Amino acid sequence: MTAAAPVPVSFLDPSVLARIGNLELLAKVVVEGFINGLHRSPHLGASTDFAEHRPYMPGDDIRRIDWRLFGRTDRHYVKEFEADTNTNFLVVLDVSPSMRYRAAERAGAVTKLTYGAYLAAALAYFSSLQRDRVGLVTFDRDIVEYVPPSAKHLQLVLHGLQRAAAASAGGEEPADARGSRRSPAMSRASDAKPRTGTDAPGSLVPVMRTLSESLRRRSIVLLISDLYEEPDDVIDALTFLRGRGNDVIVAHVLDRDELEFPFADAGSFLDLESGSALPVIPDYVRTQYRQLIRAHSAALARRVGEQRMDYALYDTAMPLDQALFAYLAARQRYSRVR
Amino acid sequence: MSFLAPAFLAGLAALAVPVLIHLIRRETRRVTDFPSLMFLQRIPVRTMRQQRLRHLLLLALRCLALALLALAFARPFIARRAALAGAPGATVRVVLLDRSWSMGAGARWARAKAAAHAAVRGLGSADRAVLVVFAGSADALTEPTNNRALLDRAIDSLRVSDQGTRYARAIKLAGDVLSRTNLPHREVTLISDFQRHGWSAGDEVRLPAGTVVRTVDVGGDTVADVAVMRVTATRDDAADRATAVVAAQVRNASSAARAVAATLSLGGRALETRTVNIPARGLAQVRFAPSPVPAGASRATVRIAPDALPADDAFHLVLTSDAAVPVLVVEPDRARARQSLYVERVLAIGDRPSFHLTRRSATALRASDFDGQAVVLLNETAVTRGPIADRLVQFVVHGGGLLIVPGTEDLARAPALASALMPARLSAVTDLSASGGTRVAEIAYAHSVFELFSAPHSGDFAAAHVFRYRAAAPVPGSTVIARFGDGAPALVERVVGNGRVLLWTTSIDDYWTDLPMQPVFVPFVHELSAYAARHQQPRSSYTVGDALDVSRLAARTAADGGVVLQAPSGVKKLLGAGSTSVAELTEAGFYELRATGDAPGTGQPIAVNVEAAEADLTPMPPDELVAAVTSRGTEPMSASGQASPPDAERDQSLWWYLVVAALALLVVESVWATRLSGATS
Repeated sequence: MTAAAPVPVSFLDPSVLARIGNLELLAKVVVEGFINGLHRSPHLGASTDFAEHRPYMPGDDIRRIDWRLFGRTDRHYVKEFEADTNTNFLVVLDVSPSMRYRAAERAGAVTKLTYGAYLAAALAYFSSLQRDRVGLVTFDRDIVEYVPPSAKHLQLVLHGLQRAAAASAGGEEPADARGSRRSPAMSRASDAKPRTGTDAPGSLVPVMRTLSESLRRRSIVLLISDLYEEPDDVIDALTFLRGRGNDVIVAHVLDRDELEFPFADAGSFLDLESGSALPVIPDYVRTQYRQLIRAHSAALARRVGEQRMDYALYDTAMPLDQALFAYLAARQRYSRVR
Repeated sequence: MSFLAPAFLAGLAALAVPVLIHLIRRETRRVTDFPSLMFLQRIPVRTMRQQRLRHLLLLALRCLALALLALAFARPFIARRAALAGAPGATVRVVLLDRSWSMGAGARWARAKAAAHAAVRGLGSADRAVLVVFAGSADALTEPTNNRALLDRAIDSLRVSDQGTRYARAIKLAGDVLSRTNLPHREVTLISDFQRHGWSAGDEVRLPAGTVVRTVDVGGDTVADVAVMRVTATRDDAADRATAVVAAQVRNASSAARAVAATLSLGGRALETRTVNIPARGLAQVRFAPSPVPAGASRATVRIAPDALPADDAFHLVLTSDAAVPVLVVEPDRARARQSLYVERVLAIGDRPSFHLTRRSATALRASDFDGQAVVLLNETAVTRGPIADRLVQFVVHGGGLLIVPGTEDLARAPALASALMPARLSAVTDLSASGGTRVAEIAYAHSVFELFSAPHSGDFAAAHVFRYRAAAPVPGSTVIARFGDGAPALVERVVGNGRVLLWTTSIDDYWTDLPMQPVFVPFVHELSAYAARHQQPRSSYTVGDALDVSRLAARTAADGGVVLQAPSGVKKLLGAGSTSVAELTEAGFYELRATGDAPGTGQPIAVNVEAAEADLTPMPPDELVAAVTSRGTEPMSASGQASPPDAERDQSLWWYLVVAALALLVVESVWATRLSGATS
């Protein structure tokens, strides 16, 4: 696939891509690959970036002997280059009902799911430009759709994202999307306890366990969710992925209403996940609510960081390209430090 | 408890407002979708029930404050004293006091005031009285009251007016007063000299049933009255100096022949005194020698020696020199030989009014030429120069008249003229000479210009032929007064400001029409010019009670802020300048009408005389009047026993406490609400 390949553009906002195009998505962990890419590999191989000379060892390809050096030193040295590799880039997108929340008052507001889909599409497309293999997992109470990572699956990934976003806009996702590409290894996750944000803590765990078992190759995993779970449960779930050497990026997507709690009228608040209602007087709970959600976000950031994973909080009111820019800039900075 | 203004209790409906707001706010408490209650459930519960209770208390507070305000506006009172006032025997008495000028005869007025005082003294402790004075009009000087000192002061302050007697108006007002009261007994005390001329059989007024009418006849004495009935002045302007011959009609109402000396004074200076013998109950004419009349208006008075009834011993009138109506005729520079000839000749022989004609060519015309003119005739020329056109518009707006004879002139060259003044949009000349011409066929005879010709054989416009005219489309707001036989407008009028613009679509000489050859042309031009000039024959004298319309003078001085009408007693009244321009003349003597800012004595005098009929002191039996105004019915009167509202109001000040309580509640409410909202934010 080349960069000029036609792709659905609804998720690929040109302004977003323009901003990303100035950066390089550098995997934190160098993953082995077959196709030369931009990811640095600890294995020296064929690329244009000279790494070092080392003495010839039997079994080395004699074509790699630096004959000029041999002329000067009368010794056989092999010229080594840093090899660029490609990697798996897997988007794990939460499509639970709570992700379908959208602020009714704000004009032009998008649901968290749509916002997450934009984010995923932008990064997937960018990874595809780097010859990375892109894949998609959407999950609710269990895995809904699985597109295995492949260099040819960008279209499938984008279609899957589009379906998920369309379901969030229309309220219900298309019937053919549910489990259509579920691999046999995934089926166990279907038996897992239904996941809700409130009454089933730790329900992220079975999904991630199933997922980690299905990934044969180390990957960059981008988890997009509103993470209404206890931080410990989130870490437990992500540990399955991290423990297998995957590079995990956690994108915590929240609506501004969830951060600011701007409601004025007292009334019943209905949980989109569980359907339970609670009488609330916003004026009285606003301060405490803000403290709790900030503490939650801070705890997640700290715990995720401790596990050498990346965490970023996205506000759906924030321009998507700014969010990506900030995140990718941070990733690049990390890679330089290492 | 009762209310003075129970209508304000409808304000209690305002209680629905906070309740509705409360309900609407409740209605908006719909279910709000939220992604997760994970954190909300961790917050310690502060139930809405507690909050609702607080809000209900706040709502009750607001409702109570509103209810108190509504009650306060309804003016509640405790009917303690009112019950006393409603005791059997309580009476409301309307004292009707005649103060027409005939009451000035002899000691009638003194007797009338004494009778009024007596009527007030006769009031019981629970009775109430209303003092109504009447002559040509009737006024209630007090509300129903038991305050005798107040009534006595009101009676003492009264004096005889210059108006005649109209019983009907007084009876009507007394009926209104009585019908508004609830006291069980109603009484009318009528103090008058009972002149027959003050009552006409057609006056359909009745007092409420059960009203007792007491009469006090202060007439009955013999008054030897001599009155100056009517004065006429005939002007003679033929000589070098204008003179006037003044003749007065003097009547002797006494039963003995009298020799009466009548004096004519002009401008306050006695000119001539003539003595005339008048037979008993007879009339005599006094004819004074011709006296020179100064320019402008001068005050003339014919006076006889004061007698028992002084009000009719003088007659005032204003002698005005006949001011010619100034007309400015504007011609083109190269006018036809006889273009303005006919108009000039016709206006020169004008009489009542006469006309003073000035002719200017279009190029020699100056803006100052309009000053002092009453009518401007644009005879087939246009005023195209800006300053002059603007001045012409101002001239019309301030009451000037403009006659436009367009001829073939292209008036569109003068935009100011075309837009601000023209009554119609002109187009091409219609030439009917080949077909024998048309005639002025459709005439609005009700219009002032043609009123003179409305009677049969008073002028035949149909005899005139019109061969050419300018087609005209009247603009909105203008009126077509006359049309030609084919329906095209002949004479169109437009009122601009206070002035009049008249458009005559054919020529005013014999170029396009033979109208100038017709006899009807002379009166037509006179009427047209007088109408454009808003000319009115000045009235030499008015009668007390007449209405004076000063709109014409007020319009001219509008920029200065109206006109002042100063009564003979010195009372000034500002007219025009946004207020009414009609004033009722209530005093005999010379009024003065002048522009605001002018010095006293420089204005236009207006002579006002008492109503001559009032001098007829022939009495009518009081019983006849009583019988005419009382109803035969004996319907029982309601005896709710309430005092009149104003007196009852004195007994109550409850509303004041209610307002204070409501304000205090509102303060508490606002403090509480602020604290609640402060706690929430």
